Amino acid sequence: MEIEFRNINKTFGTVRANIGIHFSIPAGTIQGILGENGAGKSTLMKILSGYILPDSGEIYLDGELAKIENPADAIRYGIGMLHQDPLDFPPMKALDNFMIGKPGSLFPARREAERAFLELRDQFGFTVDPNSYVDSMTVGERQQLEILRLLWLGVRVFILDEPTTGISAQQKEKLFLTLRRLADNGNTVVFVSHKLEDVEALCDRVVVLRRGELAGQMTPPYDTDRLIEMMFGKVIKLDERLPCSATDQLVLRLQNVAIDDYRLQIRNVNLEVRCGEVIGLAGMEGSGQELLLRACAGLVRTVGGRVIVNGKDLTGKDTHSFMRHGVTFMPASRLEEGLIPGLSINEHFILTGEQKGVFIKRDKAKSYSQNKISEYSIRGFPESRVEALSGGNQQRTLLALLKEELSLILLEHPTRGLDIESTIYIWSKLKERCAKGAAILFISPDLEEILQYSDRVIVFFSGRVSPPLDATLTNVDQLGQLIGGKGWEEIFEKEQVGVSNAAQ
Amino acid sequence: MQHNEKRWQNLGFQLGAVVLALLLTSLVILAAGAPPLDAYKQLLKGAFGTKMNVADTVVAWVPLLLATSGLLVTFAAGLWNIGVEGQIILGSIFTTGVLKLLQDSPLPPAFIIVLAVLGGMLGGGLWAVLAGVLKTFGGVNEIFGGLGLNFIATSMTIWLIFGPWKRPGVGSMSGTEPFPESLWLPTLPGLRLSIWAVMLGIIALVVIYFLLQGTYFGLKLKAVGNNPRAAFLLGIPTWQYMLLSFFLCGLFAGLAGSLQVVAVYHRLIPSISSGYGYLGLMVAMLINYQAFWVAPVAFFFVALNIGSIQLPIALKLDSSLSGVIQGSLVLAVLVVEGIRHRLLRK
Amino acid sequence: MKSKLVWQLFALVMIVSLALAACAPAATPAPEQPAQPAEPTKAPEQPAQPAEPTKAPEQPAEPFVFGMVMVGPYNDNGWNTAHYVAGQYVERKMNAKMLYIDKVNPADRPGTTPAQIAEQLLSQGAKFIIFNSDDMKDSSVDFNKAHPDVPMIHASGDYAWKEGKVYKPELKNYVNVMGRMEYGKMIAGCAAALTTQTGKIGYLGPLINDETRRLVASAYLGAKYCWTNYLGKDPKDLQFKVTWIGFWFNIPGVTSDPTQVANDFFNSGYDVLMSGIDTPEAQTEAKKQADAGKKVWAVPYDYEKACDVAPSICVGVPYFNWGPFYLRWIQAYLDGKYESAFEWYGPDWKDINNPDTSYVSFVKGPALSEENSKLVDKFIGELGGGLNLWKGPLNLQDGTQYLKDGEEATDQQIWYLPQLLEGIEGQSVQQ
Repeated sequence: MEIEFRNINKTFGTVRANIGIHFSIPAGTIQGILGENGAGKSTLMKILSGYILPDSGEIYLDGELAKIENPADAIRYGIGMLHQDPLDFPPMKALDNFMIGKPGSLFPARREAERAFLELRDQFGFTVDPNSYVDSMTVGERQQLEILRLLWLGVRVFILDEPTTGISAQQKEKLFLTLRRLADNGNTVVFVSHKLEDVEALCDRVVVLRRGELAGQMTPPYDTDRLIEMMFGKVIKLDERLPCSATDQLVLRLQNVAIDDYRLQIRNVNLEVRCGEVIGLAGMEGSGQELLLRACAGLVRTVGGRVIVNGKDLTGKDTHSFMRHGVTFMPASRLEEGLIPGLSINEHFILTGEQKGVFIKRDKAKSYSQNKISEYSIRGFPESRVEALSGGNQQRTLLALLKEELSLILLEHPTRGLDIESTIYIWSKLKERCAKGAAILFISPDLEEILQYSDRVIVFFSGRVSPPLDATLTNVDQLGQLIGGKGWEEIFEKEQVGVSNAAQ
Repeated sequence: MQHNEKRWQNLGFQLGAVVLALLLTSLVILAAGAPPLDAYKQLLKGAFGTKMNVADTVVAWVPLLLATSGLLVTFAAGLWNIGVEGQIILGSIFTTGVLKLLQDSPLPPAFIIVLAVLGGMLGGGLWAVLAGVLKTFGGVNEIFGGLGLNFIATSMTIWLIFGPWKRPGVGSMSGTEPFPESLWLPTLPGLRLSIWAVMLGIIALVVIYFLLQGTYFGLKLKAVGNNPRAAFLLGIPTWQYMLLSFFLCGLFAGLAGSLQVVAVYHRLIPSISSGYGYLGLMVAMLINYQAFWVAPVAFFFVALNIGSIQLPIALKLDSSLSGVIQGSLVLAVLVVEGIRHRLLRK
Repeated sequence: MKSKLVWQLFALVMIVSLALAACAPAATPAPEQPAQPAEPTKAPEQPAQPAEPTKAPEQPAEPFVFGMVMVGPYNDNGWNTAHYVAGQYVERKMNAKMLYIDKVNPADRPGTTPAQIAEQLLSQGAKFIIFNSDDMKDSSVDFNKAHPDVPMIHASGDYAWKEGKVYKPELKNYVNVMGRMEYGKMIAGCAAALTTQTGKIGYLGPLINDETRRLVASAYLGAKYCWTNYLGKDPKDLQFKVTWIGFWFNIPGVTSDPTQVANDFFNSGYDVLMSGIDTPEAQTEAKKQADAGKKVWAVPYDYEKACDVAPSICVGVPYFNWGPFYLRWIQAYLDGKYESAFEWYGPDWKDINNPDTSYVSFVKGPALSEENSKLVDKFIGELGGGLNLWKGPLNLQDGTQYLKDGEEATDQQIWYLPQLLEGIEGQSVQQ
């Protein structure tokens, strides 16, 4: 199906999210939509998929004017969207979720749905279990589920908004194959991303958005520098790696920690983290790194061993005790666990800031948040509700909410869905924290990011936990092998050396 | 300018809701075989026809004001405190208990009344905390827990009236033995209206308004209500705040029940809560949990209740028509709100 | 674009609703005329005065408006219907008009008090108020204190009884009336005893208070008398049991279900069920059982035509005739002779069914056999001739002496009967 955008405009309050967007996508192609956070990509896609209405402008499908007023309309036209934060109904089984939105009888044919589910799943080599609960799934699994659901609904235009974040390299490869196959069958794929290499590797053509406007279009061969220029208006170089000066003070000590989950068992984790250190946790989603990270925040109960923060044994304590001892946790799902929809940026700062007396000093709070907003380059106002911010700005807000004096920062996917500029910015802020003596543990599916920013790396594979590897002595290939479950004997031999090093 | 247009638009929608409700009600009245205009006229007359009617409307306004104010606190915390009805009842029971205990003591009556009112608030608060504990520790949804506790509270009233607190010799549906007049909140001459009760109601509303709009506590409650998970991770002790919001709501509901005893009935009667809790839930929904609108909308609701007494007298219509109006109003507002969202997409 | 649509929609709804309201049957101005509100500023000493314009001189004299506050539904075929027809009786007998409001009880009208409702009647023009339930006693006092100049009757109460235990001398213009239903219940008890074949009589009681205790006791006295004297049986073979439901009528979730209680009686061998409640469950349940082949009967209560609910099993009904009370008092008010009083009047023994003179009565039902009918007539004759069953030796339920041998009970002893009598099964005191 050919899609044509004609002069699309959309304004949110004072923010102009789409300004006169005008281009078309030929049928059977993979169209990349590139742009930094807040460039208007998500808005445009939400308009196409009926989640919001444009202020003006039309969409033509195969040359005919389409009236898309809600997601159901879009589905009827064969347009389906896969979300950045998958929209689902948490306490539900995957199969139930799969069946939602399917028009038909009042009593859905479960068995038929399950057969279709399994068929599609096997066709694309996915691993989702139809009977697992959605709220216990990883982001990658949720995405797989969304793709299956759209396929089953008979969608012919697939919109994928930042689909490669939050899934492993193998899953990404599989996804790309899937998308290729979809396009080869005559479907149209709209691939929204800020990741140049993904877009270059996959897309037949690319449009770039910048600050709500169409900045340019390109077909292969791609000129990377030119694309970056279109995105940011200037060329940016990645920061050099700057190693923290790790001092000797121990921020976190894990002794023989054991964690049980219904899927995984983690045993005998020993780790010593010094202040100023950054430790990356690598692994496919659901390999155990999330559990360990949350255990360090007191969010997951350990079943054995001890968790010691700043010399204080906090084993079995709740997360607020951990917080009082300078631990903070930033969750991956920003709007589900990190921020509070319905409250403004200002109110978030009031909540996390210093509280004196009973009554809120609004004026003072507002000027404080104004400062934070400009310090962290958040595109928004003190009064803006957090759910109206773009993903990157939500992440900046979360970062800005961190207390001044922290000794341990635990991050789930700190730069998920962010463009290069934001990523660099956020890491520069985090490194400032390290310089002030905080240690960081973070999870990322992006091995480059892990190697770029970590001092040491811990790899997880279905509950197995590697000893910390020196980031300067390993590389993407080795990490990739370990994540896939290969080469573990070798590192356990090396570990003896590592331990004796630590003992010195 | 854009703002102005939006305001007019909102007003238009709200008016639309009211008209829709009137339309629904008119249909019901017609179906009952009565002239709608006349019915509305009788309603107005019943609520405002005489000085006494107006006073009665205000008398009924106070407990609704208190119940709704309390509910705003639990709603802010994202809780459906259906148990508010039982909390009002427990306020009445505790107040009656304190009065019975102290009525023969040498303490000054004013002091006894103050103790009784405080006791009533405590009673309501504790009953609410019970619903909260059931939720946070027992995993019982506050709606079901609240319904159960309401039932227990009602049964408890009946048991007390016919059992331990019955009148000398006889149990009677008309309640316990009335307290001596010295233990009544003073009323305006010739009316059943106590200015003290009205003042307490208004003070409660103002307190709630500022609590929710201007304090750290209120903001934290809102955070817990909108996203308990994130609020917890941001360092707010979630379940403690939930319990606290239950307790606060219970205090206000208890005060409402207490005033029913010391200012209105001067004894414990069956169904002393008079459905003000449930009505409060409707008011809160109708005003979209905005404290600013509590007073006028609650007043409108009780005016309907009081005015509707005229319907069976003058038109042989059932008084439950007031409930129909209230219900269709809430429904109409919800429906119109839905339509507005559809048409305007925020 | 969208907002225009909305406005059009809005306008449409507005027009339709206005049209509906306006096109409604514009007639029935009737309720308005007598319903002129009082002029509150003008007549503080007489708050219930109707406004001027209704007093058009050329019209026939305005009917006197009186208001009735009823505890249950006016069509309950029991207590409340008895009051309702009494009001109609007054309307027939003089130029008067009744305004009434029914279901005035905490379950049906939460948040209102009978006093408040009486005031609403005043605002519709009523000048005389009747409260029809014992449960309105507090409210009737409140009302009386707030409106000392408005004549009123509290039926079945005793605050105006000088010799009573709870006499309130401070009340002005406060009248209590009550029928001596003791006689009605004795006759009913007699009919029940003559009819029963198992020797087991059940009594479906409302809540326990002085009134209901003495009525149960009366029914028992009548039953025992006819059982022993007319049938010549041993009083030990007569079982008489009362079960209280908790209120005058069924309030789901609050009272026991009277249907269920009636059922239990019939299923445990009680074949005649007397009703002490306001509603006809005893009859409907008996009818159901009788239709299923059981030999059972019911004795309803309160309202003359109560047997109509299920005539085939109806032994007869003891009923109140409130009309003469109300007519006489309203007339007394118009004649300037109204003053506080307590009246407790019984049947007119010359003709117990006389609607103008007999305050309490009994009508035989179709299920009363001819032979028994004669015995009942004989019993009525004996009562009219001076037979007093409230005479010693009588013991209370717990065995303590109530009346010495030969001692006749005073009115106070009867009215304030502290317990049921010996020989009656069932609770004397609530819980």
